[in-house]
Amino acid sequence: MMNAVCDTSSPVQDLLERYVDCLDEDRLEEWPELFLENGLYKILSRENEAMGLPAPLVYYYSRGMMEDRVTALRDALTYEFVYSRHLITNTRISARDDIIEASSNFVIFHTCEEGRSKTYAVGRYRDVIVETDDGPKFKKRTVILDTFAVQNLIAAPL
Amino acid sequence: MGIEMTSNFWPAEDSSRIPYAVFTDPELYARESKRLFAGPHWNYLCLDAEIRDPGQYVVSYIGERQVVVQRTEDGDVVAFLNSCAHRGAQLVRRMRGTATSHTCAYHQWCFSDRGDLLGVPQQRGVKGQGGMPKDFDKSKHGLRRIRVESYKGLVFGTFSDETPPLYDYLGPKIRPEIDRIFDRPVKVLGYYRQVIPANWKLYLENVKDPYHAGLLHLFHVTFGIYRPTMSGRVTMDESKGHSVLRTADIDEEQADVNSTYAGIDKYRTDYSLRDPSLFDVKPDYDDKVTNMIMTIFPNLMLGQVANTFQTRHVRPKGLNEFELYWTYLGFEDDDAEATEGKLRQSNFVGPAGYISLEDGEAGRLVQSGVNRREPDNCSTVQMGGRGAIEDQDTLATEVAVRGFWKCYSEAMGLARAQEQA
Repeated sequence: MMNAVCDTSSPVQDLLERYVDCLDEDRLEEWPELFLENGLYKILSRENEAMGLPAPLVYYYSRGMMEDRVTALRDALTYEFVYSRHLITNTRISARDDIIEASSNFVIFHTCEEGRSKTYAVGRYRDVIVETDDGPKFKKRTVILDTFAVQNLIAAPL
Repeated sequence: MGIEMTSNFWPAEDSSRIPYAVFTDPELYARESKRLFAGPHWNYLCLDAEIRDPGQYVVSYIGERQVVVQRTEDGDVVAFLNSCAHRGAQLVRRMRGTATSHTCAYHQWCFSDRGDLLGVPQQRGVKGQGGMPKDFDKSKHGLRRIRVESYKGLVFGTFSDETPPLYDYLGPKIRPEIDRIFDRPVKVLGYYRQVIPANWKLYLENVKDPYHAGLLHLFHVTFGIYRPTMSGRVTMDESKGHSVLRTADIDEEQADVNSTYAGIDKYRTDYSLRDPSLFDVKPDYDDKVTNMIMTIFPNLMLGQVANTFQTRHVRPKGLNEFELYWTYLGFEDDDAEATEGKLRQSNFVGPAGYISLEDGEAGRLVQSGVNRREPDNCSTVQMGGRGAIEDQDTLATEVAVRGFWKCYSEAMGLARAQEQA
């Protein structure tokens, strides 16, 4: 039987997976690079979303703000150390002109320093992605957080 | 074996030493349910703005008891325990909605929007058999009603007939701070929920403690929302259970900041933001108050951080856990720019906020630490001095924490030792 090397992933699929990799492998500095310079990253509780209320949990409207979050996570903020693991399913991708829309479900597990894992957050990503010279980037990633009774706190991006 | 409710239990008359059992003892937790949450205290329920229209209701909490707060068809605000008068089932099943009557899912007993029992299916039996006793009096089987009063749109409830009027309960030192924010109509911009693995009182300690704010929260400090060198004041009501911590950006000298933080790496002059537009929001008030944290005994916090305004309702969920339920506010007359400013500054607060997320971690760390201690070991609460519990014009103080414990120990009927620690 022949072993075939076969890359089935599209550049957009690759963006979605690199997002997860950089968070789960603690390469946070790569996270802002996946967005446009004026990209939007927003976390909305599903409760607020359902009621049409605008207050976000996180609202960053520039790559600079995302870089600021990473710096704060590295040097300033006090929070519990955890390992994270994202699972992504039900990904849908559609393209219209130069705009690509994607959505996927996620589950994030957290594992503490003593090795106990728990389900930390469940929700859905809603993305607007555009092609750039440097490959596809997020113009907008909205995180709809089903687990809106947040388990203690949100430190790293979801 | 339980805690001995003797003078040995509370070793310092001035509440400058607090036994860790208050965070770890199940008997005390059960006693709180009776004496604090069913006792003569006003408990925050919701905002008037959330139940403005006839029939609107929200489900809230007094301690762990679920309470329905309802605007009746007549326009009154009433509240009742969310438990059917028949066999105790949870009656209202959605957390908010509009209804002019409530029917229990189990046996279809139906109650008016004031909690009166309207209908009992098969009350007279079926085909002449069964049914309720002839002397069954529906007027005696309504829902458990809860007294409700409101002040400036903040709705409170109490199970006790002995609770003084809300106006007096808040008192002359607390009311003006509520007036400052609630003199114009508010609107809800959203809710946040944060499940913190700590006893609920650790959050009250946290928000009554300006000492930690300049040491744990680098963001506060570095970007000038809060520094102990700012003009600050801690005010308490007569019971010492309510308090206001106020910080204003006046009279601050950079030399004082530098000497206060000498050797403390939390304050870094080299720290800057790539995108500081978060701070580029016009203040809502011209009084230069950057930070105002009010607590109303037992478990409401009302706060301002820069342009953000919130109520934070501390909802106990057992001895070792509470939900912090944030209602994030704007004003009805905010224009689009003002609202956008508040949405931007939501990045300071809530479970993911640069400042507030660290308070969740502080709660976790303290609960985790005190669980390892003997219950009669005590914390030391003496920053700002021992002895009399009085207002102070400094932020280097824990006096409001002592005030909370004074009020708590009295409400709980815990005898305090007569000598100071």
